Amino acid sequence: MCRMQVKRLKKVTLWRLGSLLTMLFGFTQFQQLTELKPFQLTGLAQGTTYAITYYSQREIIQKPQIDSIFSRLDQSLSIYSPTSLISRFNQSATGVETDMHLRQVVQKSLAIFNETAGVFDITVHPLVNAWGFGTEKVTTLPDSATIKSLLACVGSEKLRLNQNWLRKTVPCTRIDVNGIAQGYSVDVIANYLEKHGIRNYMVEVGGEIRVKGRKYPQNTPMSIGIETPTKNEFESASIQTVIEVNQGAVTTSGNYRKYRQVGPNRISHIINPKTGYTSQNELISVTVMAHDAIIADGYDNALLAMGLSQALAFLKHHQNLDAYFIYQKSNGAITDTATAGFYKFMR
Amino acid sequence: MTALAGLAVVGSSAWAKPVAKADVIRLGMIGTGARGAGLATLIQKMPGIELVACCDNIPEHLQKGMSLAKKGAKAYTDYRKLLDDKSIDAVIIATPLYLHYPMAVAALQAGKHVYLEKSMTYDIPQAIDLVKKVRESNLIFQVGYQYRYYGLYHRVKEVIDQNWLGKITHFECQYNRNSNWRFPVSDPKLERAINWRMHREYCGGPLSELCAHEIDVVNFMLNAHPTKVVGLGGINYWKDGRDTFDNIRTVYDYPNGVKASVTSVLSNAYNGYSIRILGDKATVEILRDKAFIYAESTNNAKGTVDGVTGATLAVTTQGKGVELKFGEPGEEKLEPTTYALQDFFSCIKTKKQPISNVETGRDGSISIHMGNAAADTETVQFWKPEYAA
Repeated sequence: MCRMQVKRLKKVTLWRLGSLLTMLFGFTQFQQLTELKPFQLTGLAQGTTYAITYYSQREIIQKPQIDSIFSRLDQSLSIYSPTSLISRFNQSATGVETDMHLRQVVQKSLAIFNETAGVFDITVHPLVNAWGFGTEKVTTLPDSATIKSLLACVGSEKLRLNQNWLRKTVPCTRIDVNGIAQGYSVDVIANYLEKHGIRNYMVEVGGEIRVKGRKYPQNTPMSIGIETPTKNEFESASIQTVIEVNQGAVTTSGNYRKYRQVGPNRISHIINPKTGYTSQNELISVTVMAHDAIIADGYDNALLAMGLSQALAFLKHHQNLDAYFIYQKSNGAITDTATAGFYKFMR
Repeated sequence: MTALAGLAVVGSSAWAKPVAKADVIRLGMIGTGARGAGLATLIQKMPGIELVACCDNIPEHLQKGMSLAKKGAKAYTDYRKLLDDKSIDAVIIATPLYLHYPMAVAALQAGKHVYLEKSMTYDIPQAIDLVKKVRESNLIFQVGYQYRYYGLYHRVKEVIDQNWLGKITHFECQYNRNSNWRFPVSDPKLERAINWRMHREYCGGPLSELCAHEIDVVNFMLNAHPTKVVGLGGINYWKDGRDTFDNIRTVYDYPNGVKASVTSVLSNAYNGYSIRILGDKATVEILRDKAFIYAESTNNAKGTVDGVTGATLAVTTQGKGVELKFGEPGEEKLEPTTYALQDFFSCIKTKKQPISNVETGRDGSISIHMGNAAADTETVQFWKPEYAA
């Protein structure tokens, strides 16, 4: 009994001390937070725009540092640069020694390839080119014989990533990481900010976002608008819905901005790696929330290609992902839906 | 019955010559100057069309026309003689503007289908009367506004119909060049015959000879004609004896307050030919053979949120023009006039009035004359109800 009392007394004292410390520390932290100011960096990278906002008492990071990170990423992952590591892999018959960026992107891509049973596949590059969405300018549509011959090069099972080496089992296999590299870049920049002690930020590259903390001096959550799909490739969009996220990544893949108009037909940029043909379903855009932008970005394309019902079924077994869908109903009306987890973030 | 009819068809085709004569359109060309010769060159490549007669009163023009005509074609210096030839089905009239009306009327009276170069008539009464004459004739009558047949303009119209530009409030049209707009003359006696564009006696100057296309394009895009026009013009740069304007600026008012400025300046060639269509969502800029679309920026949408997630917006679409693609991929792009001529010949066969017809031609010509009258009198010119009777 006596022992118990002592123990309890100790506990209370410890609690009091703790709360006193918390109060003291909390007060100084509060004082520091109110002094936070926004710093903004914007520019062009990866064929699109980027915008970074971080909250800090002083300027910690400047634009040249960010541009240097992007240029390093380009040297590794850009299929538009003929001398990049990825281009050298595509040109080689057997493979290349990877760097950190290519290795991490390919590793995650292969994981998502397995997880989605091949719906997401970075070896789709030759088909992307043939359908006119790649680096080469094409004026006609591929015929079935061309597609059949290209399919022999497609399939991530033809890739081998062993430690530092990325190898191919078929010489004609080529990879295109455009569906995931933007998300990866967002992570690289976000991690760079965190390494510099930044705790409150938003990083956006071409509509792919990672966010942490709150915005200051208002001390309110950061809000992210999800675009209303536009009818054409140039129209700037309005906001369909707004979410508030304390920490994590939000990315969107849409069928509305990237397509080819061939006569009266819109050719979707989503290509089925198994059939070799472009696929069209009711989904107009998919917004995915995940811990990392590379994960969100990798899955948004796959979910878009799956179609609504398959995508929802997939998400039931992948609790680390939440998603928001804008789609066209059979009567032509545009509507939206989301996973239960996603609704919690809507403002 | 069916079997017999079938046999008859097989029989006739078996004995028929490679090209059935009934399918060939025999064509006469009245006016074989620069434009007429250009048309004749295009016609040479068109199957089923035979240029069997040419007419021009300038010998070197006639010679040029004949060199492009079918072997054995007839040469005339008097267009009435050409029209007397009963074997001719249709004529193309590519003469100075003041000759359009008498020649077109005579051709209709002679029972010929007519392709009349733009602009349609020298004045408003002629335009109104020509509509009547064509309606009475039962013949095909097309006015040479080839842009109505050009995929580029169809694409622009489609984009407008799909509301890409939002609410359209203005058109800005210009047809500028930095030259005296004169053609070389081999014999001083031919000066006025060749450089007829310098004289109001023969035409309406830059508005009727250059901007006519753009005025027709605005009418085409809006499916309307102007209700009134103001304008200023002058001869302020090329003081070389001409009496047509060397610069003119007009503003046409269309239904719902849509305004179209139509300008021609002969002392500056920057973006020579261009039409800008201003909407509250975007602008389309039409040049000779391409068009660009410029989106209005909507930063106001972003003001309410800290970031926006969406399908990747290509950087070229922000502030810069996006080229408006038209036609099938890999499709050969032909001179727009080819499409116009193809349609004229197909209308003759199908007996349908063309898209660029006597009524759209009338609206174009009246618009031009209103614009010139506005500049001549420095007063507002109004569209009168009796114009479109």
